[in-house]
Amino acid sequence: MSDPGSQHRPDDATLDLLIQQVLEGLSPAEQRALDAWGTDAGRERQAIEQAAAAVSLAATLHSPLPAGLRTRLEQSAADYVKTVRTVTPLRAAAAPAVVIPTAPAAPAAAPAAAPAASSDPRRGGGWGWVAAAACLVLALLGWMRSPPVATPTLPPTPAEQLASLAGQADTLKVTLAATKDPASGNVTGTVVWDPATQKGFIRFVGLAPNDPAVRQYQLWIFDAERDQRYPVDGGVFNIPASGSDAVIPIHAAVPVRKAAAFAVTVEKPGGVVVSAREHIVALGAAST
Amino acid sequence: MSPSVLQRIASGEAAAVRECIDEYGALVWSLARRLSRTPSDAEDATQEIFLDIWRSAARFDAAQGSDKVFIAMIARRRLIDRLRKTTNEPPMDPVEALEAVAWSDPGTASETSLEAEQAMRALQELRPEQRQVLELGLLHGLSQSEIASRLGLPLGTVKSFMRRGLIKVREFLNVDAPSVSERV
Repeated sequence: MSDPGSQHRPDDATLDLLIQQVLEGLSPAEQRALDAWGTDAGRERQAIEQAAAAVSLAATLHSPLPAGLRTRLEQSAADYVKTVRTVTPLRAAAAPAVVIPTAPAAPAAAPAAAPAASSDPRRGGGWGWVAAAACLVLALLGWMRSPPVATPTLPPTPAEQLASLAGQADTLKVTLAATKDPASGNVTGTVVWDPATQKGFIRFVGLAPNDPAVRQYQLWIFDAERDQRYPVDGGVFNIPASGSDAVIPIHAAVPVRKAAAFAVTVEKPGGVVVSAREHIVALGAAST
Repeated sequence: MSPSVLQRIASGEAAAVRECIDEYGALVWSLARRLSRTPSDAEDATQEIFLDIWRSAARFDAAQGSDKVFIAMIARRRLIDRLRKTTNEPPMDPVEALEAVAWSDPGTASETSLEAEQAMRALQELRPEQRQVLELGLLHGLSQSEIASRLGLPLGTVKSFMRRGLIKVREFLNVDAPSVSERV
């Protein structure tokens, strides 16, 4: 084995382990051996993956997507866009938490377009009022001359969608409770899941805020008709600093046939494919 | 140069999420078909892969490689993870179907990506038995033990062929590991 810790080329044995890791996975003992090699392993693995991907591309004739699969993908795309656009820019890439104010909302702030300087009479605030009045007159004239335009309807918020879904007869409702994990705290949660539309939401109270650059929460859905060792990925999400009460949309990666339980784990940024379940912070089973 | 679909997804352009299916759907589906046991598995995998792609789009760096290699890396990770989860049966393509592997001609592979063309040129420099080991492992998802068993070769020989073959591809790709940042 190579001397660990420095940036260097792996020897054949280490390279064989890296290749095996990329192609088929490692046993715990093999993984420990590879870990001992040092931090360059990640970069070497990337290079091997890149080579393997290039070979795959060279040998792959592209077959068109089946129509049914395309339809499902387009629905997934629409759901993904809706969820991500609910709160954060797409760049965040995680299901956003929608924070529910715990106190009555403050009156709406002045529009950002109104420059702060206009409130200072020493800086021409009087002219600002004249301009504003002129704009108002023009706007009124325009409104009087224009045909009525339908007011766009705002899409319901996740909290509203959760409430609506909860009122439907066929939805599944599951209560989540805290675990013994220190990160669990006193979290409680309510899952509302519609098996027919594969849509759902979770309302959390007391789940600790997370730094997305360090760790993220990930939801898992245990499907009674799938292997219980591999629950369905329900998406990663964040709890903002102000989010003691938050509603999270559920995004099942694949169709869930019979949701039996829900769990939330703490994972590295971006989530994982298979959780080691080292930090389970909330759990709840559907009543049978 | 106009931004790629991945860059547009990363910048928050909603329409790009669906365009991503148009642009990469056939590629992802083809990879999924090859490394899944059943068509149904391949469909589930394709859905998971696209979710991974949308979530990871911000990590795409055009300076590090093409969008198609990025997509193929994400797809392979997901597909291999799925293969590991289930039984040890190989995916649906049997070894006998090796002849059906549609290697690109180096002259036309650039239509797919520069890396595909480079990989193809590297593979042409390998001995036939080395190339066969790479095909079975990378394209058909067989473990190295399975390859050894099927080809009647010692496991050490299979590992050696695989290692040398991938090193050759890396040379043609000019992939120096430390320069490959955490992309996926």
